[in-house]
Amino acid sequence: MGNALAPEVDGREAGRNVSGAVLDISGVCKSFGGLKAVQSFSLRLGPGDLQGLIGPNGAGKTTCFNLLTGVYRPDAGSITLCGTQIVGMRPNSIARCGMSRTFQNIRLFGDLSVLDNVRVGGHLRVRHSMFSAILRSAGSRASEAAMRRRAMSLLTFFGLADRADEVARNLPYGDQRKLEIARALATEPTVLLLDEPAAGMNSGEKVALRDMIRRVRDEFKVTVLLIEHDMGLVMDICERITVLDYGETIAAGTPAEVQANPKVIEAYLGAEEGVHA
Amino acid sequence: MVWPLAAALVYALVVHFGGRTVLDPYYAILLVTIGINITLAVSLNMVNGFTGQFSMGHAGFLAVGGYACGIVTYYGSAKVFGSTAMRQGQLCGMPLETAGLPFLGGGEWFFLLALLVGGLVAAGLGYIVGLPSLRLRGDYLAIVTLGFGEIVRVVIQQSGKVIKAGGGKSAEQLIRDAPLYTLPGSVGGSLGFDNLPKYTSLFWAHLAAAATVLVAYRLKSSTYGRAFLSIREDEVAAEAMGVNTTKFKVRAFVLAAFFAGVAGGLYGSTLGVALSPVDAGFQKSFDIIIMVVLGGLGSISGAVVAAVVVTLLPEWLRGVAEYRMIIYALTLILLMIFRPQGLLGVREAWEMPLLRKWMGGKRGGT
Repeated sequence: MGNALAPEVDGREAGRNVSGAVLDISGVCKSFGGLKAVQSFSLRLGPGDLQGLIGPNGAGKTTCFNLLTGVYRPDAGSITLCGTQIVGMRPNSIARCGMSRTFQNIRLFGDLSVLDNVRVGGHLRVRHSMFSAILRSAGSRASEAAMRRRAMSLLTFFGLADRADEVARNLPYGDQRKLEIARALATEPTVLLLDEPAAGMNSGEKVALRDMIRRVRDEFKVTVLLIEHDMGLVMDICERITVLDYGETIAAGTPAEVQANPKVIEAYLGAEEGVHA
Repeated sequence: MVWPLAAALVYALVVHFGGRTVLDPYYAILLVTIGINITLAVSLNMVNGFTGQFSMGHAGFLAVGGYACGIVTYYGSAKVFGSTAMRQGQLCGMPLETAGLPFLGGGEWFFLLALLVGGLVAAGLGYIVGLPSLRLRGDYLAIVTLGFGEIVRVVIQQSGKVIKAGGGKSAEQLIRDAPLYTLPGSVGGSLGFDNLPKYTSLFWAHLAAAATVLVAYRLKSSTYGRAFLSIREDEVAAEAMGVNTTKFKVRAFVLAAFFAGVAGGLYGSTLGVALSPVDAGFQKSFDIIIMVVLGGLGSISGAVVAAVVVTLLPEWLRGVAEYRMIIYALTLILLMIFRPQGLLGVREAWEMPLLRKWMGGKRGGT
């Protein structure tokens, strides 16, 4: 957004230093038995970056997300989030360090209300103890009220405020995707991982989603890493793209560079003829 | 806030003094049993309903709490007061001739202490059992907890005889002479720990029930309760949202064990009950599971309603004698066929559409 040469004014830009990567992944490997799911995967995300991770089905994209969020433990390599080495940490600790995600196959808390889904995300930032929650101390009530307000403002941002009391599983598909993003943002992340947010959306919804991802990045000052199958969307909003195929990084660069890369074309289209770039 | 606690106290006092004047002893003890069963069902609901883990060893905690409480009220009483007899006041015990007794006879504080000891011992054991086993999921956890109950049962079965009066000596004398460390092991083996002072009254049973419901409700409506529920809904997503799932499962388990221990203390000290190893067995655990499933996993009011129904149903059916248990079983089967989510599902009574509509209508509608 804005002119790249303009003085950096907003907080996110000001927080950037020369070497400062928010998320620094280097040489991460993961095998399942004989299958090398991810091989020496490296990626750097600066503050406020919006990068994409693409690749054909089974290329290892979601495995990468699972490695980053601690669902799987990498066989080798290092992952640094805001200066903290997070390899070997449990997912909940990594979330506490500032990484949050959505899931490819939506994983909402189906029987909980829309508001409660977002409030579970906010639990991480709660200060009062379980004991004071049982005693319902003044502090716990203030903290619950603040959490509710934050959750409602998130729901308002995503246009879900009037459905706050509905059970999450009753939401239409597109709203469920939005709710997952809202829930992830409730953890107040530094890095937000979006796993195929446009899956199953029609073209109108995709356009809305594209604008929403940009707005999320700007309003919540988060760094976004996006897995997406929809090339139009990725090429449109991502500043930098990494392409995986069979667990290997075959290309990385700006959308234009990646699009022109013969390896990428081969991975996606298979044969040499049929190249239309 | 203090007023719900005051309300719980007032509720227990009303049930106690009201029940004592209105009910005959049979119904009074039935009402005590209802209080104990509410405590058991609502506490198990914290594990099976809130966090979605399937514990099948709740009766193990019941028995541990009951025996720990009994050791305090029997042996402890002999050591502290020099007598195993009950120190009765108006708030203790079920006999109905209470004229002339002091309001607090000293036994109340002692029994409260014993109940807390029972609860804490059960909670401690809950922590030891829960920490390794709650890393397991689903069926495995069920098997481990089932095994836990059986271990408790067998261990109690192996315990020594209760020290009672005999050989020309009083029980107090014999207890004084016995080394302290042998006392917790002298709880009657398979014969049961049957001569405990019967402190349990309507007051204590319903105070425990009200306290359990209050704690469960406040948890459920707080961020900690939502964290519990998120584990039930989707453990992977809960973890990704920063919920330390192991820690929260253990917390729910320990809390549930505490209340089960308190309920055990109440149960063992109820008139007409002889605490025995069978109380730790799976039969008793299933009874509690039935209440939770019948009421709807996760619903506190459902667990309360189911505890009342499950306590009363076999009693109502006494009229049809030998068909009693068949009808009881059939009722449960039919309920599960036509309402598999339980009476109230995951919701609370006041969240049901019917009641909401009715209450909304009464307020003039919106």
